[in-house]
Amino acid sequence: MSKYIQLFSLYWQNGLVYRTNLILWRFRQFLSALMALTVWSVVFTGQEQVFGYDTGGMIAYVFIASFLQSLVLATALHGLAQRVYSGEVSMLLTKPINFFGTLAIEDLADKSRNILFIFVEMGLLYLLFMPTIPLPGLQTWLIFGLLASMGAVLHFIISLLFGTLGFFSPETWGPKFLFFVIVDFTAGKLFPLDILPEVVQKILFLTPFPYFSFVQTQVFLEKYTQPELLNHILVLAGWLIGLSVLNSWLWKKGMREYTAAGH
Amino acid sequence: MTTQQPDIIVRNLTKIFQVYQKKSGLWGSIESLWHREHYPVTAVDHINFDIQRGEVIGFIGQNGAGKTTTLKMLSGLLYPTSGKVSVLGHNPWDRQPEFQKQFALVMGQKNQLWWDLPPMETFLLNKAIYEIPEAHFHKTLDQLVEMLDVGSVIRVQTRKLSLGQRMKCELIASLLHTPQVLFLDEPTIGLDVVMQKTVRDFIKQYNQEFGATIILTSHYMEDVQELCKRAIVIHQGKKMFDGALNQLIDQYARNKILSLTFDKTIPQKDLKKFGTLKSHDATAATLLVPRRQATKAASQLLQQYTISDVNIEEPPIEAIIREVFADQSNQAQK
Repeated sequence: MSKYIQLFSLYWQNGLVYRTNLILWRFRQFLSALMALTVWSVVFTGQEQVFGYDTGGMIAYVFIASFLQSLVLATALHGLAQRVYSGEVSMLLTKPINFFGTLAIEDLADKSRNILFIFVEMGLLYLLFMPTIPLPGLQTWLIFGLLASMGAVLHFIISLLFGTLGFFSPETWGPKFLFFVIVDFTAGKLFPLDILPEVVQKILFLTPFPYFSFVQTQVFLEKYTQPELLNHILVLAGWLIGLSVLNSWLWKKGMREYTAAGH
Repeated sequence: MTTQQPDIIVRNLTKIFQVYQKKSGLWGSIESLWHREHYPVTAVDHINFDIQRGEVIGFIGQNGAGKTTTLKMLSGLLYPTSGKVSVLGHNPWDRQPEFQKQFALVMGQKNQLWWDLPPMETFLLNKAIYEIPEAHFHKTLDQLVEMLDVGSVIRVQTRKLSLGQRMKCELIASLLHTPQVLFLDEPTIGLDVVMQKTVRDFIKQYNQEFGATIILTSHYMEDVQELCKRAIVIHQGKKMFDGALNQLIDQYARNKILSLTFDKTIPQKDLKKFGTLKSHDATAATLLVPRRQATKAASQLLQQYTISDVNIEEPPIEAIIREVFADQSNQAQK
């Protein structure tokens, strides 16, 4: 266990070396949330209801979604495929430490660093927009926490899956960019997914994207009935198991193809 | 009498890569969008060898000969296409922690030190990863730091260190768990001659002190000559030679070098009768003479001319290796 604690400490230290990068990265996240909140504030000017949401409801939604995005979608593994392709992971693979465990710690250190900033940013946004966020009961908090954690793990597994691209091709950024764009529109970052037509929603819920933040936001706002909640938990668990199996298979296959490039 | 199993056993080890070959020109690039031709490249071709505990082996070959690929297979980084490997009784690509705790791979051009943090942080991380007991860690660290004289730099950011200081710290990071088997891939690459010598001395000392089994690849023949009694030469993935370094010289060195200093200038045409004249400068000359005739030629020269100094030596190992590879290439072309 001590190896993972030591590793966590090093990733933290490493992340604090480039202060400007860290601050600008967080500023980008802050701007993104600020823009979404501003756009919806403008849309509601002179209107009480839009797409079935009132001003307070929409601002609360965007506020919670922004918080979740920073938590669930923040990852240190964007360049994993490139690290695999370039052979950068070779030294790690020769050491008696679990490879995925190491990546999980890297991701966790990144998320925990982000969390500190998220609270400061959210505080600022709260002062600017003064959203009325109905605070749920303990049980909802727990379910929200569970689903947010599952969403973070789901995103981690998908990041690992993108990492496997590096075994087979040097072209690792194209698919990742496409993923970013799709996530922007389908995870509920810019707007709540329930404003979309029924058919589109049905299609979206066949994918893992709504489980990155939309579902969790709805849980927080207590919009689901118990059967709906159970259904979402089961679907998310299904995605986690299915993608984990696929990930395990692809990494095993990839390791056989691994060229450990470089001298 | 019991015979100890070799630390490293390699049988018919083969690695074939599929390499993409792009057609030249713009159209070739466009065509590559829908059709790419791959062709097989045999990097390592049915290699066999055993290495006993405590041996230091020089792995010699030109660029692309398959040296690093072999080391990567022995480290469990690459899956072989076929063949078997046993390192300390383990199958390397099972990547068992018990195996990984007993070996180290040092690649001269790959860092394990954290670039933005001092080397000490990497040492502490390796202490945790390899589960090195506190007392053992401090004892080994002190010993290695002293041997390599880097006490003043291990708390300085890695990126601020010179290449030589970094390489020394890389070695420490790799050896803190006192591995039984050490794969050193070009450990002296890019270092100046003084630093090369320091690293060589250190490797020798480590081998003697810990009885480690070492495979060393290097383009600097001085590394091989000074550290290894045995050499394995590979060419285009195939093992060409495996034996004592002296035996390699006997087998492949065609000539000896006669360095002569005369009392007066001797015409070039007279000297050419004894061998190939490599250099001629006033009263000094260097001749390449077939090995078997070297003593006889020296004796004849001494009889015919007044010579103030004569020296018979083996050609540098680089020249021998060059001849070996030139021979192989010529044979392959025929």
